[in-house]
Amino acid sequence: MSTDVKPSWTASRLPFLADWEARIAARTLPREGAYLSILPWVITAGLVLLAASGLVLAVYYSPAHAFDSIQFIDRDVNNGWLVHGFHETGATMVFGAVYLMLFRGLLARPYKAPAELVWLAQVAVFALLLLVGWLGYTLTGGAASYWALTEAANAASRLGGAPGAIGVWFFGGPNGDGTLGRMAVFHIALALVIFCVLWLHRAAKQAVTPPAVGRGAVGFHPYYTSQYFVALVVFALIFSVLVFFAPHFGQSRLNLLPADPTIVPGKLLFPWYLAPVSGLAALLPGTAGGIIAVVAGLGVLVALPWLDLSGPNGRAGFLYRFLVVVLALDVFGLGWAASSPASALSGILVVLFAVWYFLHFLVLTPLVTSMEAE
Amino acid sequence: MAQTTLDAVAHGTGTRRDFLTILTVSGGLVGLAAVVWPLIDALGPDAQSDAAAHMIVDVAGIAENSAISVMWAGLPIYIRKLTAKQIADNQFVVPDSLADPADYTDRVKPGYENFVVVVGLNTATPCELEGNDPADPRGPFDGWLCPCDGSVYDPLGRVRGGPATKNLAIPRFTFLNNAQIQFG
Repeated sequence: MSTDVKPSWTASRLPFLADWEARIAARTLPREGAYLSILPWVITAGLVLLAASGLVLAVYYSPAHAFDSIQFIDRDVNNGWLVHGFHETGATMVFGAVYLMLFRGLLARPYKAPAELVWLAQVAVFALLLLVGWLGYTLTGGAASYWALTEAANAASRLGGAPGAIGVWFFGGPNGDGTLGRMAVFHIALALVIFCVLWLHRAAKQAVTPPAVGRGAVGFHPYYTSQYFVALVVFALIFSVLVFFAPHFGQSRLNLLPADPTIVPGKLLFPWYLAPVSGLAALLPGTAGGIIAVVAGLGVLVALPWLDLSGPNGRAGFLYRFLVVVLALDVFGLGWAASSPASALSGILVVLFAVWYFLHFLVLTPLVTSMEAE
Repeated sequence: MAQTTLDAVAHGTGTRRDFLTILTVSGGLVGLAAVVWPLIDALGPDAQSDAAAHMIVDVAGIAENSAISVMWAGLPIYIRKLTAKQIADNQFVVPDSLADPADYTDRVKPGYENFVVVVGLNTATPCELEGNDPADPRGPFDGWLCPCDGSVYDPLGRVRGGPATKNLAIPRFTFLNNAQIQFG
């Protein structure tokens, strides 16, 4: 940019706008990128949609009349059914993208030093999404949600020590008049935290990605923007099919009934994206056991960069890749078994799948990666 | 530079690329608009709130020399049917002799001159005025009287005395026919 050109009114006051065009066209990015490395961007786009539709829902949502206010949104608000569908389907799409991102992380192993933080940010996004998703599930005020919230709040007040204190602080005591209002506030606040963690993820990723140079380098625009556009079109296509033909895909059917404090459902059903976690929670007995199992389930993901013993340059062998695919099927089975009707068989399967999950990370991963690390 | 331009035109890449860019951008904008429109539309009032904001009131049943009170937009609205004497008394009052000058025709709708529609709150102390019922105390001008600070209004809702200095506000409304008025 030549200096004799007078910068525009806005550019002289907001300098970052001045070289905006030069920067997005700067040839610093690699020509060949993996298709699925686009997933964090897809997740961000999905979260923006969730935030926009959530803003509209928050205008009409009333914690004191949770179920009725959602019925009002669905029936009376202009296009309210569609906005509700955006939010429900958006949750499904974002979770789908996050599960896919974690699966890809296990397979491609981008967490090797010095990129551990990239992986940890991904796990943090997953953990926060699980919490936000669970909070959103309680906000519906349906028959299943009510009891999930009641049990969680009661369990939190039964826990002793620091976890109990945090639980009481979070839920404000047993499920009562003010509880859903708190859940709504945490649902929104933690959703905003996810944006911050995604920004952290982007910064961590840029820090470990060396800039491409020479003939192999391309600019962000138009090379990457057009690829993002293609990803967005694919996203929109799947999204439209779901929102118009299966708006309640993977949601708990029990929640179509309003909450009833006098009727306890036989089995609590969770949305599909929470089902594997509810399966993990069933591994250990009692409330404390459930919490420990879920925290441990996320903990092994956090520890993965150090459980992988293949060394900085070790390549993943066939056996390891095979085991990752088995793990994906295992998580799928865990969710399926946890959300199928209560029976002796599904109980055994849940334990079996949950044990395999921990076995994979704690035993098989170190073993196989060190075997395959020549 | 000239050579490059010539090449681009010669191979047709310039026009084809322009076409694809315009197509992609417009397709993207249509998709974006389709997503954003429901979100904007949903923030508008639903049918029930909209109906309440454009409330229709039946005025056929109001007896001469009395007024009804309805709530609209969070305010008490007084709808009063004037007598011939009240019209005659107020029709030719010189506006400049009033605290808040207003003509008779400013206060009523043409064709429905015997109906006065005002916000029934005193303009000095926000207090509900008395005088809707012929038996109520109405003050010296046979209009409305404030029970809180004694402000006096005539049947057209013009201030005639007391601490108040402004006439009663007139809400937005239209006569649909002889029997119905619609607010908003």
